[in-house]
Amino acid sequence: MEKILNEALSKGAKEAEVYRERGETTTVNFQSNRLKSIDTSFQDGTGLRIIKDGKIGFSSTTNLNDFTSLIKSAFTSAQFGQKALLQFPSSNKINPVDCFDSQILSLKTEDMIEEGEKSIELILKQAPYFECEVEVEKTVSEVAILNSQGLKYSYRKSFYAFSIHAFLAKEKNFLEIEEEETNSQYHPYSSSLAEKIIQQAELAKRSAKIFPGSYPVIFTPKAMPIIFQALKRGINGKMVQKKVSPLLSKLEKPIVFSSINITDDATFPYGISSSPIDGEGMPSHPTPIIREGVLKNFIYDLQTAAILKTKSTANGVRGYDSLPSPSTTNFLVDEGEMSLEEMIEDIKEGIIVDQTIGSGQGNVLMGEFSVNLDLGYKIENGKIVGRVKDIMVSGNSYDLLNRIVGIGKTSRFVGSTKTPPFYFSKISVSG
Amino acid sequence: MKSYLFSCLEKIKSEYVEIRYEEVVSVYIHYVGKELESIGEATEEGGGIRAKEKGGWSFVSFNNLDKLSSYLNFAVKQARLSKVNSINLAEVPSRIEIIPATPIKDPRQISLEEKYQLCTRYNKILLSAKEIQTSDLRYADVHTIKYFANSEGTYIQQERFWTVLGMAAIARRGNNIQSAHEGIGGVGGYELVENQEKKAEETARRASNLLNAKPIEKGKYTVVIDPKLSGVFAHEAFGHLSEADFLYENERLLKIMRLGRVFGNQNLNIIDEPPIPGEGGFYLYDDEGVASRKTYLIREGRLVGRLHSRETAAKMGEEPTGNARAISYEYPPIVRMSNTYIEPKDVSKEEMISGVRRGIYAKGFRGGQTNLEMFTFAPEEGYLIEKGKLTKLIRDFNLTGNIFTTLNNIDTVGNDLVLFTGPGGCGKGGQFPLPVSTGGPHIRIRDLVVGGK
Repeated sequence: MEKILNEALSKGAKEAEVYRERGETTTVNFQSNRLKSIDTSFQDGTGLRIIKDGKIGFSSTTNLNDFTSLIKSAFTSAQFGQKALLQFPSSNKINPVDCFDSQILSLKTEDMIEEGEKSIELILKQAPYFECEVEVEKTVSEVAILNSQGLKYSYRKSFYAFSIHAFLAKEKNFLEIEEEETNSQYHPYSSSLAEKIIQQAELAKRSAKIFPGSYPVIFTPKAMPIIFQALKRGINGKMVQKKVSPLLSKLEKPIVFSSINITDDATFPYGISSSPIDGEGMPSHPTPIIREGVLKNFIYDLQTAAILKTKSTANGVRGYDSLPSPSTTNFLVDEGEMSLEEMIEDIKEGIIVDQTIGSGQGNVLMGEFSVNLDLGYKIENGKIVGRVKDIMVSGNSYDLLNRIVGIGKTSRFVGSTKTPPFYFSKISVSG
Repeated sequence: MKSYLFSCLEKIKSEYVEIRYEEVVSVYIHYVGKELESIGEATEEGGGIRAKEKGGWSFVSFNNLDKLSSYLNFAVKQARLSKVNSINLAEVPSRIEIIPATPIKDPRQISLEEKYQLCTRYNKILLSAKEIQTSDLRYADVHTIKYFANSEGTYIQQERFWTVLGMAAIARRGNNIQSAHEGIGGVGGYELVENQEKKAEETARRASNLLNAKPIEKGKYTVVIDPKLSGVFAHEAFGHLSEADFLYENERLLKIMRLGRVFGNQNLNIIDEPPIPGEGGFYLYDDEGVASRKTYLIREGRLVGRLHSRETAAKMGEEPTGNARAISYEYPPIVRMSNTYIEPKDVSKEEMISGVRRGIYAKGFRGGQTNLEMFTFAPEEGYLIEKGKLTKLIRDFNLTGNIFTTLNNIDTVGNDLVLFTGPGGCGKGGQFPLPVSTGGPHIRIRDLVVGGK
């Protein structure tokens, strides 16, 4: 890496940055309740960013034997690149963050197979009609960054992911239940995930009908990313810089209900987006996004922040083959005070939304969504009475986040979003 | 390469092993609004090994070709960990083929400067229409040489140029934000993306016109969909159900998807066909080294075929169709579509619309998803049809329904087949984006649920 950096500088780059990712991923796949394949991937990729004649150039490669062409490509791209307003960070004080678990490193493939088999066994014991697809995955990687301002830092990262997809095909009535846990730390997930699948299968056994109209609704943590996608895009520095974010003039103003608090925090221990630095070497730190309903911050990488004459929030997220771009890390939503049971008991007639299809279409930026309910339940007089399907659920997420009846008191990670369930006063349901 | 791959394979003892190796050089340009977000070139080289022992599959991907022999050993050892049951592969003839690509204009001969100028020109056009707030323009040309060798003596070397341009214009008036998209290009050279000024102009105009469109009341309508949407419908709503890996070990689903079952009316034919030159899903050999061919999925309304890998074909006792594909060396091949389309019949679009008292004409595609039973699609724009005439422009609606019911409700198939490719692609099993084309003529569907305001 030093060689590349020095070579780039000696060829006339004013500044340079080398970013390398190396890793190993092993995935154990089960299909139709049986072990199907074991996959291992060894990756090694390097990205080079330079500043030449005031412009940014970038290139990437997986073949370090031939780094002269990497440098040549970066120089070519700099001829047309964006005007460089950013300054690479020097060796800031970087505090370690828990994002590596040596237990994952030493985890044997045989143990992963056993965990997978166990989860399927548990599910089939209760629900023999399911075809289960299970994926158990571990990743161990090393990220290293080096720049011409003297920054030189590397850290190790690990992941352990366990996902189950239970499927039942009945004429005119397909049932799919998906559960997943991902963490930087090892946990034996087989029993807890199997339990979740079985519980849902029980609830889905009966079917219920609902007429089109407006109803109170509970979104489970699994469904909450639909609600947060607009906010995540709205606070993205790029969207702010391009002046397309609807939150443009809303800093320090209430945008959602006053009981909502959200923080973006890559220092959170063992989240899937935890890391000591971002993709361009800025030390990670918590960034308040929402405090008591009030918008506190947008998120930035170095270049976007520099364009807007503000500071990076250490949200320059990247892979080796791309330039950093603002993105949320661990998106942490504070818990509230209501239990899921209390929410259900509180509803006379309403629905629970758990899995949907079709999110991310339409006018996401403005908060609009309209999704088909893939897995959801009907509540009557404080009790779940059965599964509802063949309905569309639509609304506006900013509107919903202002119509909160209750926020759940236990949260879980769904991808890199940690959220409790939310109970909203009404949502539109159509046939 | 051939002798190196075979010499490494010879040293390995296993039931079945295959190696894929790819050399990829890509040039990309990305504009958002007036700003160039990224421009440059990337080199990627890597390989994937698949080994089969009695128990199951093992897959290993890597970047360092020099260590191939040790990766092969690792792959075979890993395959022995799964000791459950047997996997068979359908027999295919072993072959040795070298297939060069012959683009009209080799993108490697065009300077980055020229590509940059072209994109800048299109981007200016995108931004020039009324009330356009921003644009999103992505250009990419990718040159790939893919090597394949297996322990049955097959060696296939395929070269490919992939040149694509994606254009989006985003218009805004207050809280009303509308976008229009266009995807251009596919397998081929620089000629595919030249002279597209008109397309850029149309895209921008479409987005800006949509600001004047009105939302529509939710409900059931008779809907005429354009070739873009009918293609996506063929692919998303039906094609995925034809992928044998969803079926071959699931007896319940297999019962539902039994051959001969009637799914639609006599005019309905749905086809998957990789060897159509120039299309996004074009290839002659798939990633298991199997020759590709045209496969009818639905013929005269009946289910007549499905898409196979060697494994699913063997298991179901059917012929392999050459549909095992991987998006890159980092992934094992799985059953995928290629160019999927509805075969045209003889009704014109005008006749189709004139027969509708009250309905919707839906055009373009913003996104969609299915779960094998239900689908939802977001069209880009639409018109209300009243007494056989197009009246109001409508926006922000989506189409949703049960796949089986909807197939059965297709009452008319048009005469104007168009295939579309573009910079996006299909996603399955974590593998996204895979280049495909989708297409069809205009078709008319009764009683489709339209979600809107």
